[in-house]
Amino acid sequence: MAVEHDTDTTAFGTVSRLRGKVFEKLSLGASLFGILMLAVLLVYVTVDAFNLTSASPEWLLTYFLTLIIPFIGFCLYSADDPDLTRQTVLGLLGGLGAVRLAFYLVETFVRTIPGLTWQIVYLFAVVVPATAVVGFAGSREPVGSVGFGLLGRLIGGTSLGFMLVILFFVFEPRAWFWAYTLGLVPAALVLGYSTRRPKSPISLTVIPLVLTAGVLATRPGRPFTTIGIPTRLDQAVPVSLPGGVSVSVVALYLVVVSAAAAMAFKYVLERRTDRASEASVLAFVLAAAASVAAGQAGVAPEPILEFYAGYPTTWLIYVWTLAVPLSLASGGLTALRTSRRTGIGFGVGVFVLAVVGSQLAAVIDISPKTAILFLLTVLVPTVAYVRQVLDRREGTPGLVLPVVLVAGVLVGAVIVDIWGVARPDIWLDWPFLTNGPSSLPEQAGFYPAIVGSVILITLVALFSFTFGVGTAVFLEEYAPDTGIGGFLTRIIQVNIANLAAVPSVVYGLLGLGLFVNLIGFGLGTAITGALTLTLLILPITVISAQEAIRAVPDSMRNGSYAMGATRWQTTKNVVLPEALPGVLTGTILSLGRAIGETAPLIMIGFPNTIYNPPAGIVETTTAMPMQIYVWSSSVKSEFRYGIMAAGVVTLLVVLLLMNATAIVIRNRSEQET
Amino acid sequence: MSDSQPELDLQRTRGIERLKEGTYGSFMLVCAAVTLLTTVAIFLTLLSDAISFFQAYPFGDFLSGFEWSPNDTGGEQLFGIVPLLVGTLVVTITSAFVAIPIGTLTAVYLSEYASPRKRAILKPMLEILAGIPTVVYGYFALVYITPALQATLFPNMTTFNALSASLMVGIMVIPMVSSISEDAMNAVPDELRQAGYGLGATKFEVSTGVVVPAAVSGIVSSYILAISRAIGETMIVVVAMGSNATLPEVQNGLLGIPFVHPGDVLLEQGMTITVAMVQIVGSDLTGGTVPYDAMFALGLFLFVVTLIMNVISDIIAERYREEY
Repeated sequence: MAVEHDTDTTAFGTVSRLRGKVFEKLSLGASLFGILMLAVLLVYVTVDAFNLTSASPEWLLTYFLTLIIPFIGFCLYSADDPDLTRQTVLGLLGGLGAVRLAFYLVETFVRTIPGLTWQIVYLFAVVVPATAVVGFAGSREPVGSVGFGLLGRLIGGTSLGFMLVILFFVFEPRAWFWAYTLGLVPAALVLGYSTRRPKSPISLTVIPLVLTAGVLATRPGRPFTTIGIPTRLDQAVPVSLPGGVSVSVVALYLVVVSAAAAMAFKYVLERRTDRASEASVLAFVLAAAASVAAGQAGVAPEPILEFYAGYPTTWLIYVWTLAVPLSLASGGLTALRTSRRTGIGFGVGVFVLAVVGSQLAAVIDISPKTAILFLLTVLVPTVAYVRQVLDRREGTPGLVLPVVLVAGVLVGAVIVDIWGVARPDIWLDWPFLTNGPSSLPEQAGFYPAIVGSVILITLVALFSFTFGVGTAVFLEEYAPDTGIGGFLTRIIQVNIANLAAVPSVVYGLLGLGLFVNLIGFGLGTAITGALTLTLLILPITVISAQEAIRAVPDSMRNGSYAMGATRWQTTKNVVLPEALPGVLTGTILSLGRAIGETAPLIMIGFPNTIYNPPAGIVETTTAMPMQIYVWSSSVKSEFRYGIMAAGVVTLLVVLLLMNATAIVIRNRSEQET
Repeated sequence: MSDSQPELDLQRTRGIERLKEGTYGSFMLVCAAVTLLTTVAIFLTLLSDAISFFQAYPFGDFLSGFEWSPNDTGGEQLFGIVPLLVGTLVVTITSAFVAIPIGTLTAVYLSEYASPRKRAILKPMLEILAGIPTVVYGYFALVYITPALQATLFPNMTTFNALSASLMVGIMVIPMVSSISEDAMNAVPDELRQAGYGLGATKFEVSTGVVVPAAVSGIVSSYILAISRAIGETMIVVVAMGSNATLPEVQNGLLGIPFVHPGDVLLEQGMTITVAMVQIVGSDLTGGTVPYDAMFALGLFLFVVTLIMNVISDIIAERYREEY
């Protein structure tokens, strides 16, 4: 015992506080290492993209005073916390002195810091973190949350409008018109009808109708004209089958519709032939007409576009396909929330605003068809939000935030103009976003790459959402746990986990072998890229969707079953709505992975340079990361430090917007529950 | 599907309802089958072209060849994988030297030391590291890291080099190591920690002497996953490492023991398996040629290696997990 006692005291004697402290600091340093390194690199790339090193201090000061200070002021006003205000002011002033001193010391005694001035260091090391902290504090109070909410709707709406413009550029509005009129409108009618009478057989036709719309929307006939027929495994002969596949899709659709129609007819004969049945028959007539027209479109794609003599203009198509349903929807929603009267007023208001506003836009030289898209995506949510805030009478001062920012930019521009302050030669400017690539750095642009990425991401979103949710629902709700079925389910599950770890470049080979050579979608086309990327992110989508579905409590399912719902009804009405925010968050995050992937795109033959954006999904395209890769082999320093940096920042901003959307969706759903 | 319904149809299910159930059920089944088919398709695609490659080029020469020159420019076309393996190993090992210590320490900090508030800030920020597109990391390595290293530590470094590419790969896989390891450490029950404290151990001793050993299976499996990720990493090395498939010079050092100077490997260009694939696809997309098939053989190699590592990591995580 005595011996043991002795060793114990010596052991106590060697307890070292220092070792523990050092280890804690070391591990903290390790956790910060990667983050800080990335932060420094991001600062450098931002500085390069905006060419801030060449910016005169006066230029930086002007915008600091007109843009950043008012923004910080707004956040402090919102936070309404004297302590925070004092700390911020002290931090900004003290930081100024500290950065100036530290920079001076380093420059004098160590070495010059490449590519940075002390003003830039101050901006990124002090002002940006301070703004983030203040912004976070401000956003938690009503005024700030209103301000950021409005700002978010403006930015989100603008991005959405931009995306729509691009999509309509690729998928011709006339094709969209057919898809909408013949597919989506009947589908919506049938869907509305079947929600009121869920047992009606008509509800079966919704999916074929939407499918038809999809087929039509992909520019009739065109996508399927060069379907390869594989003769041997390693060789595919591309043959021209004008609309061949469209025809078979339409034929399949006709079979489904006529089967459903026969059942509906039987249903009508058995039951009383009241008005509901008449409506169902009417819907079928519509569906049949749609399918016939789709057949026309499939067999002879181009003529039908020419066939319709009085073709509506693009603007009219937008009014009919976007303004009308959106005003109906927003009016309806308002009517549900408030009164019928305000609902009608709001709906009519939206419609008039879109129609009149887009025509007025011609005055300032913006084409009505572009204007109506932006009006609908930006103005409608903004107006709705402002109305809501004004009704709630809380945080109304926050509505001035966008005005403050816009005014800051304008005042800054005026000051720069009047006093002749030297402007930096910003790489990431409007021409960069709207030009095609060029060998001259001043003219080189990112436009085809942006368009390509938007197309890719839209297609990938459609595919991966469908397949991801389908697989997740199957695994969580349908798949058996025991027996041979259970064994298969486990295999699928393990397989998904393994697929997530397959290198992306191998997916590229899969795309090359399967979609390019075997099926013949063509080298470097948007559809090949989208399918390859879909397979690449499918495991991630499935796993995140599974987690969201698993989080739905079993009591809800059992409640639904107890009321006599079938499995699909339970899934559709209970599980999916509850899991939707989680599923959407996961899907958007995995789309973020897809938009940055380059290796698979190289493997499936994305071309190095494309001067014009693709005009369809079977045309060769490029994408943002692909373009960055191509620029990386350029030796000109303007490309390396200017154009490439601008491309990287654009890509990262898009990623940031996507992730922000995902976070907003998640926070919303957490607040609601 | 296989609802165990009683004979009495309490649900009053009609034919149409049952049809609907069946339709949607089979749609889901098809979706799930797509994931299985993907694996099969990957395997078949790679295998069919790899087989035709090995018909044209002996398997033994492929595995033991010391020269990689797939281009059809005059000289002999040689497809020896050894230089590519060396390049891949260099990147993998160097990045593991970055990611494993940092990732493990990060996991220890997050699971043992960080307050909930700090963890709530740090964890999403670490996830950002994994979310940055790899081509952007490659750009960082090429445009910022290499010049910075040239200006400070290694003036002899070439523009394209293995070191800065590997550093970036390492940083990219940090979150992979840290998040899986942290999950493993979080799964260690609190009783073990309390017992450690009860015996008079310090926090440092509990963290390193109790928690880490208890979570070692998860930690090791995270290492393997990270390494497998580094092996398959493409864009960072394509952009920043160059494409020179030469073996480093073996020097005769002290006592006649041959060695390779690390600088010859790290500060020079190199070529990984993934770079070789990208290079072939850049010059030859028509198909049917030997290099084209070689690309699939490399892909098959990569696929099999990562698959095996994945399975090993699963086995370690499952078998050596301490059960509490």
